[in-house]
Amino acid sequence: MTDRLRRVGRRLAVGVRRVLRVARWESARASGGVDRRTLAAGVALLLVAGGVVGVGVATGVAGLDVDQDVYRVGVDGESPYTDAIEEAPSLRPVSARSASLGDSADAVVVTVVRPGAGDDGSIDAADVEEVVVRASDTRKGEAAAASVREAVAAHNERLMRAEPNQTAAFPVVVTLRYVGRTTGVDDGATLGGSGGGSTDGPDGGGGGSDGPDGTGDGGDGTGDGGSGESSTGDGSATDGLGSADGSTESDDDGFAVPSIGGGAFGASTVGSPGSITPPFPFTSLLLAFAFLVPMNFLIQAYGSSILDERTNRRGEPLLVTPLSPAEIVAGKTLPYAAAAAVVTSLIALVVGGGPLSVVAVAPVAATFLGATFVGAMFARSFKELTFVTVGVSVLLTTYAFVPAIFTNVTPVALVSPLTLVVFDLQGEAVSTGEVLFSTAPMGLGAALLFGLGLGVYREEDMFSQKPVTRKFLDALAVRLSPIPARRGIGGGLLDRDRLRALGSVALLTACTLPFVFVAELLAVAVLFALPVTVSIPVLLVTIAFIEEVAKSVGLYAGFERGVFGRIGGDPAGDGGATGDGHGALRVALAVGIASGTGFFLAEKATAVVQAVGLTDLFIGRAAFADVAGLSGLPPLALAALFFAPLVLHAVTTSVASVGASRGRTAYALALTLATLGHAAYNVGVVGLG
Amino acid sequence: MDSRLTIAGREIAGLRAEKTILLAIGIQLFIAMFSSFLVVGLVSMYDPGALDGAQIEVAAAGDAVDELERAAAEVPGASVTPYDDANAARSAFERNAADAVVVTTRTESGRVSTAVTAPDATVETTVIVVQLRELLRTYELNERDARASFLEESPLPLPDRSDTSPYFTFTYTVLIPLLVFLPVFISGSLVVDSITEELDQGTMELLRVAPVTLADIVDGKAAAAIGIAPGQALLWLLLLEANGTSVANVGPILALMTALTTLVVAVAVGIAAVAPDRQAAQLLYSVAVLVLFGGATAMAGGPANAVARLAIDSADATTGVLVVAYAAIAAAAYLGVRRVVAVEGFGR
Repeated sequence: MTDRLRRVGRRLAVGVRRVLRVARWESARASGGVDRRTLAAGVALLLVAGGVVGVGVATGVAGLDVDQDVYRVGVDGESPYTDAIEEAPSLRPVSARSASLGDSADAVVVTVVRPGAGDDGSIDAADVEEVVVRASDTRKGEAAAASVREAVAAHNERLMRAEPNQTAAFPVVVTLRYVGRTTGVDDGATLGGSGGGSTDGPDGGGGGSDGPDGTGDGGDGTGDGGSGESSTGDGSATDGLGSADGSTESDDDGFAVPSIGGGAFGASTVGSPGSITPPFPFTSLLLAFAFLVPMNFLIQAYGSSILDERTNRRGEPLLVTPLSPAEIVAGKTLPYAAAAAVVTSLIALVVGGGPLSVVAVAPVAATFLGATFVGAMFARSFKELTFVTVGVSVLLTTYAFVPAIFTNVTPVALVSPLTLVVFDLQGEAVSTGEVLFSTAPMGLGAALLFGLGLGVYREEDMFSQKPVTRKFLDALAVRLSPIPARRGIGGGLLDRDRLRALGSVALLTACTLPFVFVAELLAVAVLFALPVTVSIPVLLVTIAFIEEVAKSVGLYAGFERGVFGRIGGDPAGDGGATGDGHGALRVALAVGIASGTGFFLAEKATAVVQAVGLTDLFIGRAAFADVAGLSGLPPLALAALFFAPLVLHAVTTSVASVGASRGRTAYALALTLATLGHAAYNVGVVGLG
Repeated sequence: MDSRLTIAGREIAGLRAEKTILLAIGIQLFIAMFSSFLVVGLVSMYDPGALDGAQIEVAAAGDAVDELERAAAEVPGASVTPYDDANAARSAFERNAADAVVVTTRTESGRVSTAVTAPDATVETTVIVVQLRELLRTYELNERDARASFLEESPLPLPDRSDTSPYFTFTYTVLIPLLVFLPVFISGSLVVDSITEELDQGTMELLRVAPVTLADIVDGKAAAAIGIAPGQALLWLLLLEANGTSVANVGPILALMTALTTLVVAVAVGIAAVAPDRQAAQLLYSVAVLVLFGGATAMAGGPANAVARLAIDSADATTGVLVVAYAAIAAAAYLGVRRVVAVEGFGR
């Protein structure tokens, strides 16, 4: 036993040493590639640009106003409105006399002055009796008129802030509090504990005492604006205040009551009505984005390095060494992963994130690297790699970033690990379950991506020029093994080889689950903004399609690559089950059922979803229909409901499998059929629930 | 001339064979779709007027209920129901009969203290808070008017509200510049890849054996990269046009973006010539483009702003001058880089 352990330990040590050796070589190579001159040139460029922009900002020439001067507004030189128009970047004042509406001006400010005013040569605000903005009758005119109104409001706000009599300037003081309803019909929509610390208050307080408690607070709050903060009492409010990270510029000079902007849910905000900010973690989100920026540079270098191995057969010497492909790839990836870790930690230090931020970004970085690895293994040239890299960047950035926008709004946001970063920057508590839910699928996805790419890390694929789709099918087919033909009539159905082959089919399909999960959640995230009447049907069909593709694409690869025998086609080349159409049909059905079963098992393993309470959300319930609570049904019905998806997956996948075995067109047709059947089933389940 | 066209044709044939250009257009479409989705999503959260008939119900109690009701009459999308006291208003909120509670109290200092309660952690919260802010600001304006005599400077009267689409400004100032400039970056990146690949695989040597000069090679590759850019931009502009967004000054916009493509391609050729390999070249190119565009956008009258003003038809003489200036800079940069490369060769 100890002997065995020692042997395993020794092998492990050898592996680690090998990986480290490749890593050392790779980092030496990479730092040689990006030599000092290049680095110096890059740094110099950045410094020059930074200097120019800095000087520009300091002197007021520069400003990131993309909407500068897009609307032309006619206004008289003496009009008190001239200042307001000039201060707004998007408006350009033109002389009202020479302006013609719709041609050289989009809107004209017309003031009606009180009779007698303006005799002393100047007109001020008090003399203006009425103001009318005449706008051209286009969408542009309307937008210009709205901008004028905004500009005047902003001008007034600035004017009032300079007022000595602040009581008259800001006569209304607002204390805003967020309170969870403890009763009510749409209780299901207030989303459990997953909304972060904010919902803890009412939950912790217990149902009955909340109502009167809240009223008491309100009474306090009205007494003097300040006590709104302390009276909330349950810690969540002070948390929120502490993390309000100055996202609104300090617009309260000389103002008695502090105005708090950018607060999270649960924070009380006190200030004038203008200082109320809707619960939107803008600054935290922006800072979270900073974590993604270096990834784009990193994957460029990484992708280049991988593709470099493949051009001019440069990687061949390494392949013939005793190193296994996995060791080579691990070694080549290690320096980049380490760089990602270092950069992420540095950014976390700078923006004030904790270890949670680093933990949350890790799977994102791994997925960036994994997707780039697969892209670099499939790409035929640098040009193709560039597009693959850009595609990876765009897709992953959106996937990570878009859900995080809804951080405080819905638990679906936890799909993206970046949401954890936002929580971390806001100083909100996150449970272990939430961390797992957020990071595990992406981490697993990254591992599977590396697995997919490793499948084609071999001579015949690395140094050949095949289209991306064919390489993809190759990479899938590598993981399959042929189904042995039945030996004679009495050959058992439970033949060991047969089972192993079918098992590999099931495993391959099960491995697609994280991607299915990601794709479905992305679909949910995209569609949830739509009205429910539209989003649910579209979602059901989309989900059915995603699942059907996931279950059958491996089978299609198997048939295309000749791992499984084709029906009516030429006999497969390398050891595939050949023979009459009958046998091939049997193979198609068998792998279809195996694939469906694999998917079913994997799906059942993802009961983790429940831990976060995602199923509380109606749209989430549609996506993960079969894990929603079904208590209260008789055991038999429950069992039927439990196994219904198994039957469904097996049937639809068999249909797609038979199609796949007959060629591309048949596969497309069968896939459509399977999707429709699946969608119909989904509709039935949602109707039932 | 012929040999340059041959080289350009070979470049484009390569792109077609790999279908990379389709991938590029797909990526651009995705970016455009998602940035629109983002903005539509955000705007509908922040500007409930954009949501059809978003109407919030406010339960009000306290000293200034009447004034609050008057303010609500001016604000579309908010209505106020008076309650006898704070407890009644709160229980209405608990019963879901109201979306928010506002309790007003006049203080000795002369201010009105307003305690607002909004529901926690639902999608509607943002909408409710935005509407509440609108309501309270209107109320503040009215109160301020009543105290105008105590103010040194009276605020300017506001013009009437007008209906406008919140997406309008976004479409012209962000979406159109984004779509117009994406092909620019892609073209530059293509040139970097194309040149470093030839150097890497040794085919550049073969090309040098053929009766073409280095300047011809650079011209051919640049022509292919610059040639595919305006077509993509035009495609986006036509798509927007079909979608109901009229874009003015299409000619000048395309001229501007072609000039910028030339400039970026010149930078790309220069970088590919000096950088030791593709990895370094792409890295330098990304940094350079980031610097170039970041810096230019931050300047008044940067290319993004110029495109926005051209597209929205607010261009003036300075915008025209700007387009000409960009074209001149681009031509000078390209000719300079071409000359240097022709003399020095690709230095490795």
